[in-house]
Amino acid sequence: MTTQYTRSLNELSVELNRLNTQVASGRKFAKSSENTSAAIKAFQIRKDMLKTEGYQANVAHAKASLTDAEAALSHIEELMRTASERILFALNGTQSGEERKVVTTELRNIRDQLFQTLNSSTSGSYHFGGTNTTTRPFEIVGGKLQYNGFSLDLPLPADTPAANEALFADLEKDSMILDIGLNTKFDSVTGKVDESTVFGYSIAGINIVGRGTVTIGGEEFSNNLYDLLGALASELESGSYSYDKADALFGHFKTATGSIGKSITVIGAKTSYLEFMAERMADRVFNMQERQVSVEGIDPAAAIIQFESQKFAYTAALQMGSKIIQPSIFDFMS
Amino acid sequence: MSMSPTFLAFHTASRALAASQANIDVTGNNIANVNTKGYTRQRVDQNSISSGGYTQKYGLPMASPGWGVEVSGISQSRDPFLDARFRDQASEKGKLDTILSGLSDLESIFDEASTDGLLNELSNFINDLQTLSQTPSAGDIAFITRTAAQKVTQIMNVYSNQVTQVRNQQIFDLSRVVIENEFNTKVKGIADLNDQIRKEQTYGNTPNELLDKRNLLIDELSELAKIKVTSLPEKITEDLTIERLTVSLYDTATGASISLVDRGLYNTLYVTDNGDRVNVGIASSFGSAASGDITAHFSGGSIRGYLDLINGKGINEFRGALYYRDSMDIFASNFAKVLNDLNTVDPLNPKPLFTASGGGAITAENIRISDEWLADATYITTSTYGSDGGDNILRMIAAIDTDTSFYKDAADPSSTVMFKGSFHDYLSGLIGEVALDAELYQNYTDTSANVLNGLYAARESISGVSLNEEGISLMAYQKSYNAAMRYFTVLDEAVDALINRMGIAGR
Repeated sequence: MTTQYTRSLNELSVELNRLNTQVASGRKFAKSSENTSAAIKAFQIRKDMLKTEGYQANVAHAKASLTDAEAALSHIEELMRTASERILFALNGTQSGEERKVVTTELRNIRDQLFQTLNSSTSGSYHFGGTNTTTRPFEIVGGKLQYNGFSLDLPLPADTPAANEALFADLEKDSMILDIGLNTKFDSVTGKVDESTVFGYSIAGINIVGRGTVTIGGEEFSNNLYDLLGALASELESGSYSYDKADALFGHFKTATGSIGKSITVIGAKTSYLEFMAERMADRVFNMQERQVSVEGIDPAAAIIQFESQKFAYTAALQMGSKIIQPSIFDFMS
Repeated sequence: MSMSPTFLAFHTASRALAASQANIDVTGNNIANVNTKGYTRQRVDQNSISSGGYTQKYGLPMASPGWGVEVSGISQSRDPFLDARFRDQASEKGKLDTILSGLSDLESIFDEASTDGLLNELSNFINDLQTLSQTPSAGDIAFITRTAAQKVTQIMNVYSNQVTQVRNQQIFDLSRVVIENEFNTKVKGIADLNDQIRKEQTYGNTPNELLDKRNLLIDELSELAKIKVTSLPEKITEDLTIERLTVSLYDTATGASISLVDRGLYNTLYVTDNGDRVNVGIASSFGSAASGDITAHFSGGSIRGYLDLINGKGINEFRGALYYRDSMDIFASNFAKVLNDLNTVDPLNPKPLFTASGGGAITAENIRISDEWLADATYITTSTYGSDGGDNILRMIAAIDTDTSFYKDAADPSSTVMFKGSFHDYLSGLIGEVALDAELYQNYTDTSANVLNGLYAARESISGVSLNEEGISLMAYQKSYNAAMRYFTVLDEAVDALINRMGIAGR
């Protein structure tokens, strides 16, 4: 009888303790073996939540980078607008050589600013270097603009135009990439990242400045913003100034500035996609939190009621303890 | 016509008094032992005595009253069948209890229900890799990533060490506590009691207290191993046959028995630790079995539970400590292999991120960050194109996150694939296994405890002392004692009348 009583007291207090832990911790189970299937589900949810946190951090980083790049690009756009106005002013037939020289100085100034902005960086990482973030992407070598160590004139060398074209195509596509939960895939043969499964968030500078060469009046010019500005400046101050040549150069310059707008549009599209992803992730996290609560958490009201009723049962059992030594025949013997 | 002797009835009355006295004494002894562990309720064996007329050639043509009562002995109230069932169940529960407690220890190593462990650290490592992929050239982030990787390896080390610790604890318990201290002491105790009981019984005594002690020891022994108890008659003289009790280890699978105790003889067990295999041997001083390894012979009891926990490798056998140690080794070696391969761009110039401390194959116990990575946090290959891009970091993240084949031997892709899934899947699967086993054995143990309690109650109802019953007996025997005394008075008065008053009329 006492053995039985001790056992049920023990069982009751174990259960009371379990419910107490539940109420105190807000958790359905303290050990996996209390509810294995729920525990495994919980692990899955926790993993997904942490994973999404990683994606959210990546999205935030990409957004911040794109915002920085956009600011720099807007500045470049502004510079180019000023440059166009000044060139138009200089091309006006009524301007004297002296006045053109003033514009020339302005253009060289703008060109230097362009160069600096192209090499702008945030926390040590260059905006427009593609996957090159540690060395200045743009350099002036022999008076000409170079991108990531490559001359922007094409074809160079002349005998391998196809190889050059491929190289430039690669440079244009070259971008910092992040995993934002698009299920990253790799080419099974080359091992290269499948670009559609990651998020490229940097703009390769080559897309902004343009590349290749143009021939005007038998003379070859580098067809990029920096060199075109330089060529225009030189032409405007030249003693053998030719309006036609300057106008042709300006035409190419105007075309080249179009790529800035394009890049800004690309950034806009990327940013709005990121915003969409960020919203979706916030939703997912919210859903997962709800699921986590339903898998791991307790319904406080139900748990407290259970706890109270268990406490009642335990107290009742304890009270019964004084009666557990039941009266026997001896109590009635005279 | 014959008459019975005048004072014969006094003897009958005396025996009646003695019998009642004996009953009162035994009842008192029962009441006194109501809380004594292992005590078996005793009862007085009594029978009536005839006048012995049955053997006379010619029956006497007269009524012949009996000569009263005889107390022939004091015996115990036991059911051998219930004893056997109780002990079978006790050895089952002994095994289950041991396994359950071992599994709880193992579960608490891996479980992450209330605490963070390897699963969480693996997720943190992935997130630090994600951060590194944002600025792959940043040395400080590379440092943080390496720290996260180090935490992953350290937790693996801890897991492995804890599994080994749990196993060593089990080996210690089995060898020092269970076998040397309990099992061997108990078999010796049973053999000693056999000797004493035999002596007492040879003198014609009934050593009930010794029998209780022996039964208690046998009950306790049955928790340690599955045993079979047999009782054979042993003829001492023409008139006296006593019981010869033997105890043997019983293997339910094969039906084979190995002698443990026979009369005063006993065999002891010993444990040998052969690294991955711990064996139990017998030092055989008598009986059929030769000395040596009898590990496979235990089909129940806590010894079997310990052996399962210590030796169970999980393949076609119990998932014991070794299974979890091996599983963590497979995890560690495959984890290292996958990331080392990804960090290596030129196969001729391997760039391992993880190595084994002390060299050799990587296990959960020895995995650590390679010297090269320790010396330079940016040793991790962020890009395979030689740029500042993070493509290779993404490759690592994807490799940890997507399905992988876990090879038994990570270095040998032709070895058995133990598991296919992500690293997270592998770990949560492992936690699930130990938790499910713990859950299952909790259920087994609960059921077994219920059955055992039922058997205990059934046995108690036969062998235990009930105060009500004893109280009623006490009252009854008090009355019979009084009645016997009354009988005396009647006889006394009759004889008094016979001697002092008969034939004196008119004197």
